[in-house]
Amino acid sequence: MTTLYVLDVPENTGVAKVAAEDPAVSVGRIGPYFEITASGAITIDRRATGCRHAVWYSAVAGVARDSRITQHDKNALRVEPV
Amino acid sequence: MTRPDHRVKGVDHAAFPTFDPAGTVRFYRDVLGFPVVHSICAVGWGPEDHPDFIHFFFDIGNDDRIAFFYYFGTEPFNTGPYNKTGRGDAYSAFGPEVPTYFIRSRHLAIHVDTYEDLIEYRRRLDASQWPVEMQIQHETIESIYTHDPNGYMVEITRAMRPVTPQEDLDANLTIDALLDVVAEPGPSLAKLLARKAELIVECAAQWELERAGHERP
Repeated sequence: MTTLYVLDVPENTGVAKVAAEDPAVSVGRIGPYFEITASGAITIDRRATGCRHAVWYSAVAGVARDSRITQHDKNALRVEPV
Repeated sequence: MTRPDHRVKGVDHAAFPTFDPAGTVRFYRDVLGFPVVHSICAVGWGPEDHPDFIHFFFDIGNDDRIAFFYYFGTEPFNTGPYNKTGRGDAYSAFGPEVPTYFIRSRHLAIHVDTYEDLIEYRRRLDASQWPVEMQIQHETIESIYTHDPNGYMVEITRAMRPVTPQEDLDANLTIDALLDVVAEPGPSLAKLLARKAELIVECAAQWELERAGHERP
C-alpha cells in the first residue's frame, strides 16, 4: 500500500487532480488533507499539475511509513511501497 | 497542553550596525521612502570602550521600525571578506566554506499589501544603485530582494492569497513532527514526512470536525 498526504490548498489541487487520473490511484480526504493511495506506485507528472517549482517541491505533507518517495524532481513525484 | 497567552504586538524594532550611515539613509529614507521616526545621539557610556553613537530608526509600516547603530570612530571589523568578496555584511563575514544559501538565510522581509505596492518598491530600487536582484513567486508569497548598503539582505513581499486555517494546522503538525525527528539521530525530511503522516492520521480528521463545530451557529 502506498499513501501520500497533500494539504488541500489552491496551489496543490492540481497534484490531487493529476494523481486521481490514474485509475489505480484513489484520492480521499482526511481532515484538510488529500489522502492519495494505491496498492502499487503513485506517479504524478509535475507539468500536468501546473505547479511552479516552489509549490511542487513543498507539496508533500506526509508519506506513510509503508511508503517512500523514490523520485521528486522537476519531472515527477513517485511514491512506492517500501 | 495549555500554552501561555499571546500578548505581543509585532516588531518594535530590529537593530543592525552600520559603517555607512549616508548610504543607509539614502537607501531607506530617500530610495524606499521610509520616514526617519526616531534617533538617539548618545555619548558612549557603560563599558569603557563604548564609542559615542547615533541610534536611528526608520518606519517600516504598521509602526514597526528598522534601526541602526552608527559608532563614531569605529572602523569595520570584517574588512577582508565582506569588502573583497561580498560574502557577508557589516555585521558578519563568511569564508569560502560557507554556502551562499546559508548566508542568504538571514534576512528581513517587509510586508506590502498588493502586487502594485511590490512593483512600486521594485521601481524605486531599480532606479537606485541598489536594484532588485531577484523577484520570486514562492509557495504563497511573491518577493523582491536586494542588499542594502550594509550588505544586509532585504526582502519586500506580498501574500498572493490569505493564509488559511488548514495551513496553520499543517504548520503545527510540521513542527511537532520536526521536534520528534530532531530528538532522534539522523533527522531527515523523509523521517519528518513519515512522522507527519502519523500525526495527520491522528489529528487531522478530528481537527476538521472540531472546526466545523466551532463554526456552527
